[in-house]
Amino acid sequence: MARPVSPDKVESMRFNDTIVGVAFIALAATMIAMTFSFPSFPGQAYGPSLFPRILGAGMIFCSLVLILRERRAAVAAPWLVLADWVREPRKVWSFILTLAAMLFYVLASDWLGFIPSAFLVQIVLLLWFGVRPVTALVVAVGMTLLVHWFFGSMMLVPLPRGILDSVL
Amino acid sequence: MQAIATAFGLVFDFQVIGVILASAVFGMFVGAMPGLTATMATALLVPVTFFMPPVPALGAIVTATAMAIFAGDIPAAMLRMPGTPASAAYADESYEMTKKGQLDLCMGVNLVFSVMGGIFGVAVLILAAPMLAEVAINFSSFEYFWLACLGLTCAVFIGTGNPVKGLLSLFIGLAIGCVGIDPAAGQPRFTFGNVDLLSGINFIPTLIGMFAVSELLRGSVSLDQGSTMVQQQVGKLMTGIGAVWRKYWKNFFRGSILGTIIGALPGAGADIAAWVSYAVSKKLSKEPEKFGTGHLEGIVDSTSANNSALGGAWIPALVFGIPGDSITAIVIGVLYMKGMNPGPSVFLQTPELIYAVFIIFILANIVMFPLGWAAIKSAKQILRVPRNILLPVILIFCMVGSFAMTNSIYGVVLMVVMGVFGWVLEEHGIPIAPLILGLVLGEMLEQNFMTSMIKSDGSFLVFFERPIAGVLGVCTLVVWGLMLWRMLPFGRHGQPVPAGETAPP
Repeated sequence: MARPVSPDKVESMRFNDTIVGVAFIALAATMIAMTFSFPSFPGQAYGPSLFPRILGAGMIFCSLVLILRERRAAVAAPWLVLADWVREPRKVWSFILTLAAMLFYVLASDWLGFIPSAFLVQIVLLLWFGVRPVTALVVAVGMTLLVHWFFGSMMLVPLPRGILDSVL
Repeated sequence: MQAIATAFGLVFDFQVIGVILASAVFGMFVGAMPGLTATMATALLVPVTFFMPPVPALGAIVTATAMAIFAGDIPAAMLRMPGTPASAAYADESYEMTKKGQLDLCMGVNLVFSVMGGIFGVAVLILAAPMLAEVAINFSSFEYFWLACLGLTCAVFIGTGNPVKGLLSLFIGLAIGCVGIDPAAGQPRFTFGNVDLLSGINFIPTLIGMFAVSELLRGSVSLDQGSTMVQQQVGKLMTGIGAVWRKYWKNFFRGSILGTIIGALPGAGADIAAWVSYAVSKKLSKEPEKFGTGHLEGIVDSTSANNSALGGAWIPALVFGIPGDSITAIVIGVLYMKGMNPGPSVFLQTPELIYAVFIIFILANIVMFPLGWAAIKSAKQILRVPRNILLPVILIFCMVGSFAMTNSIYGVVLMVVMGVFGWVLEEHGIPIAPLILGLVLGEMLEQNFMTSMIKSDGSFLVFFERPIAGVLGVCTLVVWGLMLWRMLPFGRHGQPVPAGETAPP
């Protein structure tokens, strides 16, 4: 699944394995700590807390191996490697905008309704990615209505109506 | 016999055939678009299949994946960009053929051998699955516990270049699976008092996030990476196929057998099957020096292998409920949602369903021929669809699909969180597939573990007392020992496997 990193081109952005390991150890430790609030059954050493504790231990073990391996490597890995695209502002904005589009949908779709929010998300992204305005408009309107028809009318998913409640 | 007749009735229904054809076209398109994978096609299909009865739902997934795996060969030959990771192994080889002016022959071979490889995989599935199911019917929680362990271990071992990161990913997946009500005692875990989390981490939004949203995030920064299309007309596809068959029929069988076996191993799917069989073909070839210069031999092996792997992956999925690759992991999730727990009892209780899957598989591979033909002929138009239009459109599909799973914004929130998390993991070289397998199998694993513990009154020795459980248990422990040896810094470092590490650009 992960892509091979060619030496001349940095395609992925990564912290080194020490930071990754520490992060997952912290996560696993929190998980194990939480299991102590689970009830245990008298006379039985294995309750709902057993399985998460095993998993937490496994995560800590893997993380430790990752850290150890990197510490023993001859060349120290940099704390953070930035991908090439981070140096291109337009691409950074593309990334942020894609994320922002999802967050906007999460926050706004309930009161704005599916049709306006889906249309907005699409038209903004399409225009930003350099699609010609007429095409962008046709695609955004067409896909919004198609998805609304398919999921809303065919699959009976209660898509939020929002401000169009009185019209629909 | 009665069941087979019922199965035919189930499949040859106007609506089911319609669903199969529609998903075939969908699969062709997704597979042919570089950057959209077969797993992504499945992830996007699942919200739609959620509202269907089991047979059309499974039919849609089977057909779409079969088409996508073949269709990935088209841009590999024309653009040198594999449409799905499964075609990556021989993308260069295909492109070299195209440069030599052999695009027709290359596409014809890909089509014919994909269809035949697919049918080979299905044939093995049809023969092997019922036999295995008869053995598996006697399994108890001990055997299932060890099987799940072995399956998950294989997933970590084979599917990833870095077993430590694969294992970490698996543990994360299993841990995510713990959220919600625990399967043995009914205790809510890690829910933070949230009602949505009480029902567990919904599988489908997670899947869409990890496989589709993370891909979109990556795609958003690489949209301008265009490629030049080979300006060559597609002519007669079937010219010379007979000669290829006479010369390379052994390669076909070798590729298909390898593909089916690798597909059946948990965690390794079509992409690894293609890599391995390409490598084997080169090693055993009489003219290995021709490989990489536009030589057909390796293509025959690997294009048969990746399609036969699909059928192979269904063997452990249907018989034991242990997925053979990330696509069947999704299928198992779908089966659970439909209240059908995969396993040998399905073969006894609803055999018509199993037969229906078999029939759909055969149908899908037959339909692949004319549809694949059409896709090759219209490849120029398909490949001209710009990715900057696709990205926002797919994003909307992802969000609506996730919403539809919970009928609330919780699904979308989960999708976004998992999408970003999946993106972060992949950027750090932590593979996603083991996580998804862990999430799917987590509950089954814990349930069998706890049941076994209660049965054995806490003694771990009882886990080895039944003969099959004992063998499986010892196998698992041996594999774990090997893994520990390889993983620890003082042990030998394993050679990173190129397979499975290659995704489309």
